[in-house]
Amino acid sequence: MTDVLFEFGLESGIHALMNSAWGWPAVESAHFIGLSVLIGTVGVFDLRMLGLARGIPMIALHGLIPWGVAGYVLNAATGVLFLVSAPDQYLFNPAFQLKLALMGVAGLNVLFFYRFVFAVVRDADPAADPPPSARIAAAVSLGCWVGVITCGRLITYFRPPYHWCPWC
Amino acid sequence: MPPTWYVEAVETLLWFEGTPPSIWMRESGPGFFGSLILHSLGMAFLVGAHVATDLRILGVAPGVPLSLLYRLRPMGWLGLGVVVPSGVLLLVAYPTKALTNPVFYVKLASVGSALLVGRALGVGLLGRAGAEAEPLPSRIKAKAGLSLLLWALAITSGRLLAYTYHVLLAADLYGP
Repeated sequence: MTDVLFEFGLESGIHALMNSAWGWPAVESAHFIGLSVLIGTVGVFDLRMLGLARGIPMIALHGLIPWGVAGYVLNAATGVLFLVSAPDQYLFNPAFQLKLALMGVAGLNVLFFYRFVFAVVRDADPAADPPPSARIAAAVSLGCWVGVITCGRLITYFRPPYHWCPWC
Repeated sequence: MPPTWYVEAVETLLWFEGTPPSIWMRESGPGFFGSLILHSLGMAFLVGAHVATDLRILGVAPGVPLSLLYRLRPMGWLGLGVVVPSGVLLLVAYPTKALTNPVFYVKLASVGSALLVGRALGVGLLGRAGAEAEPLPSRIKAKAGLSLLLWALAITSGRLLAYTYHVLLAADLYGP
Protein backbone atom coordinates (compact mmCIF):
# COMPACT_ATOMS: atom_id res chain seq x y z
CA MET A 1 0.00 0.00 0.00
CA THR A 2 2.76 2.42 1.01
CA ASP A 3 4.78 1.50 -2.08
CA VAL A 4 1.83 1.79 -4.43
CA LEU A 5 0.95 5.27 -3.13
CA PHE A 6 4.57 6.40 -3.17
CA GLU A 7 5.09 5.12 -6.74
CA PHE A 8 1.99 7.02 -7.80
CA GLY A 9 3.36 10.15 -6.11
CA LEU A 10 6.67 9.82 -7.95
CA GLU A 11 5.24 8.98 -11.38
CA SER A 12 2.51 11.64 -11.28
CA GLY A 13 4.99 14.37 -10.39
CA ILE A 14 3.14 15.09 -7.14
CA HIS A 15 6.19 14.16 -5.08
CA ALA A 16 8.32 16.66 -7.01
CA LEU A 17 5.65 19.35 -6.75
CA MET A 18 5.26 18.90 -2.98
CA ASN A 19 9.02 18.96 -2.41
CA SER A 20 9.56 22.06 -4.52
CA ALA A 21 10.44 25.25 -2.65
CA TRP A 22 6.90 26.29 -1.58
CA GLY A 23 4.98 23.13 -2.52
CA TRP A 24 4.17 21.76 0.91
CA PRO A 25 3.31 25.09 2.63
CA ALA A 26 1.16 26.23 -0.33
CA VAL A 27 -0.86 23.02 -0.34
CA GLU A 28 -1.22 23.17 3.46
CA SER A 29 -2.55 26.73 3.19
CA ALA A 30 -5.14 25.57 0.65
CA HIS A 31 -6.08 22.71 3.00
CA PHE A 32 -6.66 25.17 5.89
CA ILE A 33 -8.68 27.52 3.64
CA GLY A 34 -10.78 24.54 2.54
CA LEU A 35 -11.53 23.50 6.11
CA SER A 36 -12.59 27.07 6.95
CA VAL A 37 -14.97 27.06 3.97
CA LEU A 38 -16.34 23.69 5.11
CA ILE A 39 -17.06 24.99 8.63
CA GLY A 40 -18.40 28.25 7.13
CA THR A 41 -21.00 26.31 5.13
CA VAL A 42 -21.69 22.82 6.47
CA GLY A 43 -20.77 23.96 10.00
CA VAL A 44 -23.07 26.99 9.77
CA PHE A 45 -25.92 24.79 8.54
CA ASP A 46 -25.26 22.39 11.45
CA LEU A 47 -25.23 25.24 13.99
CA ARG A 48 -28.55 26.48 12.60
CA MET A 49 -30.05 22.99 13.05
CA LEU A 50 -28.71 23.05 16.62
CA GLY A 51 -30.64 26.25 17.31
CA LEU A 52 -28.26 29.10 16.44
CA ALA A 53 -29.54 31.99 14.29
CA ARG A 54 -33.19 31.09 14.74
CA GLY A 55 -35.39 32.88 12.23
CA ILE A 56 -33.13 32.14 9.27
CA PRO A 57 -34.97 29.36 7.38
CA MET A 58 -32.87 26.17 7.56
CA ILE A 59 -33.61 25.38 3.92
CA ALA A 60 -32.25 28.80 2.93
CA LEU A 61 -28.92 28.12 4.68
CA HIS A 62 -28.81 24.78 2.86
CA GLY A 63 -27.99 26.95 -0.20
CA LEU A 64 -24.45 27.24 1.21
CA ILE A 65 -23.89 23.50 0.88
CA PRO A 66 -22.51 23.50 -2.73
CA TRP A 67 -19.65 25.67 -1.42
CA GLY A 68 -19.19 23.18 1.39
CA VAL A 69 -18.84 20.44 -1.21
CA ALA A 70 -16.24 22.61 -2.98
CA GLY A 71 -14.32 22.97 0.31
CA TYR A 72 -14.54 19.21 0.85
CA VAL A 73 -13.28 18.44 -2.66
CA LEU A 74 -10.40 20.93 -2.25
CA ASN A 75 -9.41 19.23 1.01
CA ALA A 76 -9.77 15.70 -0.32
CA ALA A 77 -7.55 16.64 -3.28
CA THR A 78 -4.91 18.44 -1.19
CA GLY A 79 -5.11 15.59 1.33
CA VAL A 80 -4.22 13.09 -1.40
CA LEU A 81 -1.20 15.25 -2.30
CA PHE A 82 0.07 14.94 1.31
CA LEU A 83 -0.69 11.23 1.48
CA VAL A 84 1.13 10.14 -1.68
CA SER A 85 4.14 12.34 -0.86
CA ALA A 86 4.81 10.62 2.48
CA PRO A 87 2.47 7.59 2.75
CA ASP A 88 4.27 5.95 5.69
CA GLN A 89 3.75 9.10 7.78
CA TYR A 90 -0.01 8.78 7.36
CA LEU A 91 -0.96 5.11 6.94
CA PHE A 92 0.67 4.05 10.23
CA ASN A 93 -0.49 7.12 12.12
CA PRO A 94 -3.35 6.64 14.62
CA ALA A 95 -4.43 10.29 14.21
CA PHE A 96 -4.75 9.86 10.44
CA GLN A 97 -6.62 6.56 10.84
CA LEU A 98 -9.09 8.13 13.27
CA LYS A 99 -9.45 11.12 10.95
CA LEU A 100 -10.46 8.83 8.06
CA ALA A 101 -12.87 6.94 10.31
CA LEU A 102 -14.56 10.19 11.38
CA MET A 103 -14.81 11.24 7.73
CA GLY A 104 -16.53 7.91 7.09
CA VAL A 105 -19.02 8.56 9.90
CA ALA A 106 -19.63 12.07 8.51
CA GLY A 107 -20.28 10.51 5.10
CA LEU A 108 -22.82 8.03 6.52
CA ASN A 109 -24.43 10.93 8.37
CA VAL A 110 -24.87 12.76 5.05
CA LEU A 111 -26.77 9.72 3.71
CA PHE A 112 -28.86 9.59 6.90
CA PHE A 113 -29.58 13.32 6.62
CA TYR A 114 -30.84 13.27 3.03
CA ARG A 115 -32.79 10.04 3.52
CA PHE A 116 -34.57 10.89 6.79
CA VAL A 117 -34.05 14.52 7.82
CA PHE A 118 -33.96 16.76 4.76
CA ALA A 119 -37.75 16.80 4.16
CA VAL A 120 -38.40 17.74 7.79
CA VAL A 121 -35.83 20.55 7.58
CA ARG A 122 -37.24 21.81 4.27
CA ASP A 123 -40.72 22.25 5.74
CA ALA A 124 -39.68 23.45 9.22
CA ASP A 125 -40.98 26.71 10.67
CA PRO A 126 -37.96 29.11 10.87
CA ALA A 127 -39.03 30.40 14.29
CA ALA A 128 -39.71 27.01 15.92
CA ASP A 129 -37.31 24.70 17.76
CA PRO A 130 -35.31 22.64 15.24
CA PRO A 131 -36.74 19.09 14.87
CA PRO A 132 -34.97 16.43 17.00
CA SER A 133 -33.81 14.44 13.98
CA ALA A 134 -32.17 17.59 12.58
CA ARG A 135 -30.44 18.23 15.90
CA ILE A 136 -29.04 14.69 15.93
CA ALA A 137 -27.76 14.86 12.35
CA ALA A 138 -26.24 18.30 13.01
CA ALA A 139 -24.54 17.22 16.24
CA VAL A 140 -23.03 14.16 14.54
CA SER A 141 -21.85 16.26 11.58
CA LEU A 142 -20.32 19.06 13.63
CA GLY A 143 -18.79 16.58 16.08
CA CYS A 144 -17.20 14.65 13.22
CA TRP A 145 -15.72 17.72 11.54
CA VAL A 146 -14.35 19.11 14.81
CA GLY A 147 -12.84 15.65 15.37
CA VAL A 148 -11.42 15.58 11.84
CA ILE A 149 -9.69 18.95 12.34
CA THR A 150 -8.37 17.82 15.73
CA CYS A 151 -6.99 14.57 14.31
CA GLY A 152 -5.52 16.44 11.36
CA ARG A 153 -3.57 18.64 13.76
CA LEU A 154 -2.46 15.59 15.76
CA ILE A 155 -0.93 13.86 12.71
CA THR A 156 2.40 15.59 13.39
CA TYR A 157 2.20 14.62 17.08
CA PHE A 158 1.80 10.91 16.35
CA ARG A 159 4.32 10.90 13.53
CA PRO A 160 5.74 7.39 13.03
CA PRO A 161 8.06 5.75 13.89
CA TYR A 162 8.51 7.78 17.08
CA HIS A 163 5.05 6.93 18.26
CA TRP A 164 3.73 3.46 18.58
CA CYS A 165 0.06 2.50 18.78
CA PRO A 166 -1.38 -0.95 19.51
CA TRP A 167 -2.94 -1.47 16.11
CA CYS A 168 -0.61 0.36 13.73
CA MET B 1 27.13 47.57 18.62
CA PRO B 2 23.38 46.98 18.28
CA PRO B 3 21.12 49.70 19.76
CA THR B 4 20.24 49.50 23.45
CA TRP B 5 16.55 48.80 22.86
CA TYR B 6 17.46 45.78 20.74
CA VAL B 7 19.78 44.36 23.39
CA GLU B 8 17.11 44.88 26.04
CA ALA B 9 14.45 43.22 23.87
CA VAL B 10 16.64 40.19 23.24
CA GLU B 11 17.51 39.93 26.95
CA THR B 12 13.83 40.13 27.84
CA LEU B 13 13.00 37.36 25.36
CA LEU B 14 15.89 35.28 26.66
CA TRP B 15 14.61 35.67 30.22
CA PHE B 16 11.00 35.01 29.22
CA GLU B 17 11.82 31.82 27.34
CA GLY B 18 13.46 30.54 30.52
CA THR B 19 10.37 31.05 32.67
CA PRO B 20 8.33 27.97 33.63
CA PRO B 21 5.20 28.86 31.57
CA SER B 22 7.21 29.27 28.37
CA ILE B 23 9.22 26.10 28.98
CA TRP B 24 6.03 24.18 29.78
CA MET B 25 4.33 25.38 26.61
CA ARG B 26 7.29 24.14 24.54
CA GLU B 27 7.82 20.84 26.28
CA SER B 28 4.31 19.70 27.18
CA GLY B 29 2.62 17.72 24.41
CA PRO B 30 -0.91 18.51 25.65
CA GLY B 31 0.01 22.17 26.22
CA PHE B 32 1.50 22.78 22.79
CA PHE B 33 -0.68 20.52 20.66
CA GLY B 34 -3.79 21.43 22.65
CA SER B 35 -3.16 25.10 21.82
CA LEU B 36 -2.44 24.24 18.20
CA ILE B 37 -5.72 22.28 17.91
CA LEU B 38 -7.74 25.03 19.60
CA HIS B 39 -6.12 27.65 17.35
CA SER B 40 -7.17 25.65 14.25
CA LEU B 41 -10.71 25.03 15.52
CA GLY B 42 -11.13 28.66 16.53
CA MET B 43 -9.86 29.70 13.09
CA ALA B 44 -12.43 27.46 11.41
CA PHE B 45 -15.32 29.01 13.39
CA LEU B 46 -14.05 32.62 13.18
CA VAL B 47 -13.29 32.46 9.45
CA GLY B 48 -16.32 30.24 8.83
CA ALA B 49 -18.75 32.80 10.27
CA HIS B 50 -17.27 35.44 7.98
CA VAL B 51 -17.22 33.10 4.96
CA ALA B 52 -20.95 32.40 5.38
CA THR B 53 -21.75 36.12 5.67
CA ASP B 54 -19.52 37.08 2.72
CA LEU B 55 -20.90 34.32 0.48
CA ARG B 56 -24.46 35.43 1.24
CA ILE B 57 -23.61 39.06 0.40
CA LEU B 58 -22.02 37.88 -2.85
CA GLY B 59 -25.28 36.17 -3.81
CA VAL B 60 -24.97 32.58 -2.51
CA ALA B 61 -28.02 31.22 -0.62
CA PRO B 62 -30.25 34.18 -1.57
CA GLY B 63 -33.10 32.85 0.62
CA VAL B 64 -31.17 33.83 3.77
CA PRO B 65 -32.55 37.22 4.94
CA LEU B 66 -29.74 39.81 5.05
CA SER B 67 -31.40 41.38 8.09
CA LEU B 68 -30.87 38.15 10.09
CA LEU B 69 -27.22 37.52 9.19
CA TYR B 70 -26.19 39.21 12.42
CA ARG B 71 -27.48 36.13 14.24
CA LEU B 72 -24.38 34.26 13.06
CA ARG B 73 -22.24 36.60 15.16
CA PRO B 74 -22.02 34.28 18.21
CA MET B 75 -20.20 31.78 15.97
CA GLY B 76 -17.61 34.42 15.07
CA TRP B 77 -17.25 35.53 18.68
CA LEU B 78 -16.78 31.93 19.79
CA GLY B 79 -14.05 31.51 17.20
CA LEU B 80 -12.33 34.76 18.17
CA GLY B 81 -12.61 33.85 21.87
CA VAL B 82 -10.73 30.60 21.17
CA VAL B 83 -8.24 31.92 18.61
CA VAL B 84 -6.87 34.77 20.73
CA PRO B 85 -5.98 32.90 23.96
CA SER B 86 -4.64 29.86 22.07
CA GLY B 87 -2.59 32.20 19.88
CA VAL B 88 -1.19 33.94 22.96
CA LEU B 89 -0.21 30.53 24.38
CA LEU B 90 1.61 29.65 21.15
CA LEU B 91 3.38 33.00 21.41
CA VAL B 92 4.32 32.17 25.02
CA ALA B 93 5.96 28.99 23.71
CA TYR B 94 8.05 30.61 20.96
CA PRO B 95 7.96 34.43 21.25
CA THR B 96 11.26 35.04 19.45
CA LYS B 97 10.28 32.75 16.59
CA ALA B 98 7.14 34.81 15.85
CA LEU B 99 8.31 38.31 16.73
CA THR B 100 11.44 38.14 14.55
CA ASN B 101 9.45 36.94 11.52
CA PRO B 102 7.90 39.64 9.27
CA VAL B 103 5.25 37.12 8.16
CA PHE B 104 3.88 37.15 11.72
CA TYR B 105 3.07 40.87 11.35
CA VAL B 106 1.49 40.21 7.93
CA LYS B 107 -0.75 37.68 9.66
CA LEU B 108 -1.72 40.07 12.48
CA ALA B 109 -2.41 42.86 9.97
CA SER B 110 -4.53 40.52 7.81
CA VAL B 111 -6.61 39.33 10.76
CA GLY B 112 -7.02 42.89 12.05
CA SER B 113 -8.04 44.24 8.63
CA ALA B 114 -10.43 41.34 8.03
CA LEU B 115 -12.10 42.01 11.40
CA LEU B 116 -12.39 45.73 10.56
CA VAL B 117 -13.93 44.96 7.14
CA GLY B 118 -16.34 42.55 8.83
CA ARG B 119 -17.26 45.23 11.31
CA ALA B 120 -17.84 47.76 8.53
CA LEU B 121 -20.09 45.25 6.77
CA GLY B 122 -21.93 44.61 10.02
CA VAL B 123 -22.54 48.27 10.72
CA GLY B 124 -23.65 49.03 7.15
CA LEU B 125 -25.63 45.94 6.41
CA LEU B 126 -26.19 43.47 9.19
CA GLY B 127 -27.26 45.73 12.02
CA ARG B 128 -30.60 45.08 13.60
CA ALA B 129 -31.81 48.41 12.21
CA GLY B 130 -31.93 49.32 8.55
CA ALA B 131 -30.54 46.37 6.62
CA GLU B 132 -29.89 47.39 3.04
CA ALA B 133 -32.28 46.15 0.39
CA GLU B 134 -31.23 44.06 -2.57
CA PRO B 135 -29.80 44.40 -5.11
CA LEU B 136 -26.86 45.33 -2.90
CA PRO B 137 -24.60 48.19 -4.00
CA SER B 138 -21.33 47.03 -5.50
CA ARG B 139 -19.27 48.71 -2.74
CA ILE B 140 -20.81 46.25 -0.23
CA LYS B 141 -20.10 43.27 -2.48
CA ALA B 142 -16.54 44.53 -2.92
CA LYS B 143 -16.13 44.57 0.88
CA ALA B 144 -17.35 40.98 1.10
CA GLY B 145 -14.85 39.95 -1.57
CA LEU B 146 -12.07 41.83 0.23
CA SER B 147 -13.03 40.08 3.46
CA LEU B 148 -12.61 36.65 1.83
CA LEU B 149 -9.22 37.66 0.39
CA LEU B 150 -7.99 38.97 3.76
CA TRP B 151 -9.03 35.76 5.57
CA ALA B 152 -7.26 33.68 2.91
CA LEU B 153 -4.15 35.83 3.41
CA ALA B 154 -4.43 35.48 7.20
CA ILE B 155 -4.62 31.68 6.95
CA THR B 156 -1.79 31.45 4.42
CA SER B 157 0.54 33.72 6.40
CA GLY B 158 -0.31 31.79 9.56
CA ARG B 159 0.59 28.50 7.90
CA LEU B 160 3.81 29.99 6.50
CA LEU B 161 4.98 30.83 10.05
CA ALA B 162 6.08 27.21 10.37
CA TYR B 163 8.39 27.59 7.35
CA THR B 164 9.65 31.19 7.26
CA TYR B 165 11.12 31.83 10.72
CA HIS B 166 14.80 32.75 11.00
CA VAL B 167 15.34 32.27 14.73
CA LEU B 168 13.65 29.72 16.98
CA LEU B 169 14.72 30.93 20.43
CA ALA B 170 16.37 34.11 21.72
CA ALA B 171 19.48 32.10 22.66
CA ASP B 172 20.02 31.42 18.93
CA LEU B 173 20.52 35.19 18.40
CA TYR B 174 23.84 34.91 20.23
CA GLY B 175 25.23 32.63 17.51
CA PRO B 176 26.61 29.11 17.75
